[in-house]
Amino acid sequence: MKWVASELHTHTAHSDGKQTLPELARGAKKLGYDCIALTDHNTMSGLADKEAVERETGLAILPGMEWTTFYGHMVTVGLRAFVDWRQAEPDNIRAGLTEIHRHGGVAGLAHPFRIGSPACTGCYWEFEVEDWNEFDYIEVWSTTFAPIRPDNRRAYALWTDRLNAGDRIAATSGRDWHEQKATDDPLSVTYLGIEDEQAPLAEQALLALRAGRVAVTLGPLLTLEIRSGATGRTYGIGAVVPAAADEGVSASCTALVSLQFSVREGLWELPPQSYRLAIWSNKGVVAERRIEATDDATYSLDIDAGDTTWTRAELWGVVKGIYTLIAFTNAIYFA
Amino acid sequence: MLLDIEKHVTPEHSRSHLRFPFRLERPAAKLNIRFSYTPKVLEEDAVARRLMEISIERYIEPERQKAALENLERYLPLQNLITVSVDDADGYRGACHRHDPAQQLYLSENGASPGLIGGRIGVGDWAVTLSVHSVVTESCACRLEVWVSGEEGFE
Repeated sequence: MKWVASELHTHTAHSDGKQTLPELARGAKKLGYDCIALTDHNTMSGLADKEAVERETGLAILPGMEWTTFYGHMVTVGLRAFVDWRQAEPDNIRAGLTEIHRHGGVAGLAHPFRIGSPACTGCYWEFEVEDWNEFDYIEVWSTTFAPIRPDNRRAYALWTDRLNAGDRIAATSGRDWHEQKATDDPLSVTYLGIEDEQAPLAEQALLALRAGRVAVTLGPLLTLEIRSGATGRTYGIGAVVPAAADEGVSASCTALVSLQFSVREGLWELPPQSYRLAIWSNKGVVAERRIEATDDATYSLDIDAGDTTWTRAELWGVVKGIYTLIAFTNAIYFA
Repeated sequence: MLLDIEKHVTPEHSRSHLRFPFRLERPAAKLNIRFSYTPKVLEEDAVARRLMEISIERYIEPERQKAALENLERYLPLQNLITVSVDDADGYRGACHRHDPAQQLYLSENGASPGLIGGRIGVGDWAVTLSVHSVVTESCACRLEVWVSGEEGFE
């Protein structure tokens, strides 16, 4: 699996951004991203020179649009056609979602707990949701130094609640990047797990997002596999560990957590420290240990998978003097 | 002039779309749109603070509301936001989601203002939609003018 550094929420002067697509793409490349989604508000006109910018920068650019409605902002990515955001009413977002999927796109809630009207109409998610499974993802980390922000903590808690309720939904970061302005804040990276490295990157990135092969971080790349005691096989992020015929055997699993500190080398920094690695599931923290910043290390943690419906890995430590979540994987599900 | 509209909107219009259809009888080289609204900013500080207090109570978790109220200035000044989108007989021709209260826009065969989609300025039913995201002032005066210029092929 190749993990591709992506930024999934960006704007240009085609909406309210203060940058052109070439400026955005060059800026993204400099920060070590290999893939971006252009998600201008309510228009896709900024994508007209997409191919030329991809050739110039080597970046994959996913077509997207942020539905900037009165009741919520919804990032959509990968559509082959326009779907009308102006039809959105508090009780009918499902219809829009169906159309987005019909046209090959994925959709996620953008910054669902950012303050709403009148400071930012629609920024807070107020749409009624019947079935969370119909959404592809929740943007749980918005803007910069994301994990310490209270609205992002609420979004992360919403994601955990949905996983606990049995929904299968991904979690991403998005800078909501409007201009090329330097910042000392830590930046988030959404890594997308690419299965076929020969296929076009944009196409593969979209498949990864749809399948929840996603890992989010302020720095090191944290990934997870579950080795099932029942089948002897390993399952990656976004996958479903099958139920074993003999329940006594299925209960023993091993979480294999990998950490790469050499990704985007020189583009992020964490103080020397030992980190806390935790395995979460619907039962809470089911395993944890201290680790050092060793590059390309894999840690095995035994977990009791009885009554488990999902699991994820988290990395905690100190960033700019604040103890915080640094990285998390998306879920591996249990049938 | 295909459209020349003056409309006063109030906070009651917040979160609604105002659709202004028009018909193009002959193809044209360029469709021009001039849109403005005023005022942009809610100047009455006490009113703005009251609106933000309601918003904080609605959108911020109870345990963080006190801190949010103490930092209420970060949300000020409150502003009106109305955005433009365009449709032709075949569908969507883009939107201009930005804060400028005065915008001079165009669409033509070979180009368009950022946010809008260039292409044929063809015969048929068109519409400009004003999306009233937020009106925080007692009243807000909008002006929308739409006209074509040039024959098709001659900009």
